[in-house]
This record gives sequence, structure tokens and C-alpha cells, in this order.
Amino acid sequence: MNQDRIQRRMIRRETHSSRALPSIISACVLMVVFLWLAAEAVLWILKDQPLLASPSQMLQWLVDLPDTTLPAGMAATGAGLGILGLLLLGLAVGRGRKARRSLASQRAAVVVDDDVIAAALSNTTRLAAGLAPGQATTTVGGRSVRVQVRPTSGVPLDLESVTTVVDGELAAFALDRRASSSVRVLNQGAVGQ
Amino acid sequence: MRQTNRALNRILLALLGLALLGAGAAVIAAGTLPGAADTWTTMASSVRDSARNLVDTAPLPDPVRSWWLVAGIAALLVGVALSAAWLASQGGGRTPRLAEQQDGAEERGGSQGAGDARGRTVVDVGLVSTALREALRGNRDVLATSVSAWESRRGTALRLRVEARKGSSPRELADTAEELIREIDALLGHPIPVLVRITSGARTQVSGSRRAR
Repeated sequence: MNQDRIQRRMIRRETHSSRALPSIISACVLMVVFLWLAAEAVLWILKDQPLLASPSQMLQWLVDLPDTTLPAGMAATGAGLGILGLLLLGLAVGRGRKARRSLASQRAAVVVDDDVIAAALSNTTRLAAGLAPGQATTTVGGRSVRVQVRPTSGVPLDLESVTTVVDGELAAFALDRRASSSVRVLNQGAVGQ
Repeated sequence: MRQTNRALNRILLALLGLALLGAGAAVIAAGTLPGAADTWTTMASSVRDSARNLVDTAPLPDPVRSWWLVAGIAALLVGVALSAAWLASQGGGRTPRLAEQQDGAEERGGSQGAGDARGRTVVDVGLVSTALREALRGNRDVLATSVSAWESRRGTALRLRVEARKGSSPRELADTAEELIREIDALLGHPIPVLVRITSGARTQVSGSRRAR
């Protein structure tokens, strides 16, 4: 029971983003801004030359901002800030799911990349239909698995059996998120094998 | 596996996003609405004036002028320290030790016999890593493996990363890994939490799939 909880936690942490990169960037920017403000304040107290602008200059600039800037410039700056804010908010509130999913397992927490699953499905489809590499391609999305088959010219392809094989393989993987599969046979054939 | 505080990251990023959103809205309003520009100017100048008045309320000898300036600089430095703490809280938790056990701790105060000597047994990750690599060497579906140990609140956990050949079945790889983990359990004596990651990597792209036609 306890073991199960630990496993689920490990899977959850592995399949979802930790948002470490945006956090690191934000923390660095905040740190630089605070350090700069503190340095400006100290230089101002010591009546030294400011690095970029002294605190009183900054306040004056802030007061005069609407009068000295074009309205279009203000709107554009505000929109830029707003978009950045929305981006951060989206990162924080969003699900942050990574392109991975977990396989059912008794002993360990198993997490597989989506492209490994896609490559495996392409391979089984190819073997089941007797095709050359590259004639079957698979896309694994959030809740769907799409297999695209390009048949060999002149050789009939049994869609039914390919679908059965793909579904059987997916069922064998026992993914934690139910993925619906669809097989599409392209009209254009590949020449000669 | 890392010990990053994910809830903290989400909260702080959300707060930062809200602050930026608010600032952006204020700037847009000041630029487009005529009344808002006047409000902006009056509010900013009143803030400046009240700051000037505040500076005069707690005077200090000449070079510093006021306690409030000292307090302001201290607040900025606290901000720097908090940002650094946030930065430092990312990641971490990797350990070279998989397991550790103290022996003979309850036998105390006896004569200096061999039985009551306290001993410490440490199992290195390298041991398990070498064993797994050796076991997976003959497996043609595995291009590379890496093993690391991570500390969590509930003890040390093992992370096994397997780079799969293009087209190899993840189910088979997972079963192989599970079998190996059971052997490690038998070797170590008590089970540890294990995470198996089946990935594609740089070598997956260049390695061809196994041909069986």
C-alpha cells in the first residue's frame, strides 16, 4: 500500500514538469533587479555616480512616464508585460504534462517516452503487414494514437488485421492513460519491394 | 526524482505572473485612457512626496540621512536573499549511496569482542550500476543504461534509465527491467523504490531498428 503511494508519486513527478527552468530564470532576473536597486540606493546615499539612474531619477521618470511616452508605446509595453505575465501564470496553473506516460508494472514505476511507444507501434505494424521500414508511421498524442500506413503498390493490405495488431500491442503496453487508436491507410502506395 | 519544491515553484510563478499582468494593465490604461494618465501622475508623485516625508521622520547623521533608507536597502537585500533561496531550491537530492545500515548498535558496553564492534555497511550506486550494465550488455534492444540514486522524504530511491533501440517494445524492456530489479532485491535483502525510465536518445536516432523480416 505504502509502496504503491511512493510509486504513484514517482510517476506523477516524472510525467509532469517541475517548472524548474522558468523558476530559475525568474529567480535570476529578480535577484539581478534587487541587487541593482540596492546598489543604486547605496551609491545615491554615498553621493556617488549612479550605475544607470539614481532612485530619485527613477521616481521622476515614473511620474513623467505617461506625458513623455507616446500612447502607442505605452500600450505596446503594457501588452508585452501582460503577455509575459500571462505566460508565467499559464506555466504555474497549467498541467505541465510531459510527452511521457507510465506502463503498468508490479514492482517498479515505469515511465516511457511517447516516441518510444510510437516507434514500437510502427515496428509491429510494419512486421504485421510485411512492409519496409518507413512505410508505417505513428503519432502518439495526448489521448490518441494515430498509425499511418503506406501500402506497397499492388499488394493488398488488410486494414482489419493491422488494426487488431495495433490494438493488441497497445493493450499489452497497459498505459495508464487510455489512448484510442486509429489506423489510416494512405491512398498512395510505395513502389516495389 | 529531484527534490525541487514544485508547489513553491507554481505559487511563486503565479504571483510573479499576476504582478506582471497588473503592471501591464496599469501601463496600458495610462497610455490609452486620458483619465488614467492623470491618476498615474498624481499617484506616482504622491508616493514620491510621502517617501520624502518618511525619510525626514527618522533622521540619522549626514552620510546616511535616514533610518528609512537603511530599512529600504535592507528590504532589497532580503529580496536578493529570497531570490537566491528560490534559485537554490531547484533540483538536488542525488546521492552516491544507495543504502546504509548500522550494525551492532544495540550491543553496547561489553568487552572488546568481535561481536559488539559497531560497523556501518554502505552500498554504493556503482555496485548496482555495474551489475545492471553487465546484465543488459547482451540485450540488443538496450543501447545505453544509466543508474542513479535519489534521496526523497521516504528514503533512497533508484532511478534506472534505459535508452531503447528504435522500434523495440517498451513492454519487453519494462519486463526485463522488472526481472533485474527483483534480482537486485534478492541481492540487497530489502526492496527499494525504483523508477524505470525508457527513453529515446541521441543514439536511438542513428541506430537502425532490428530487422526481422
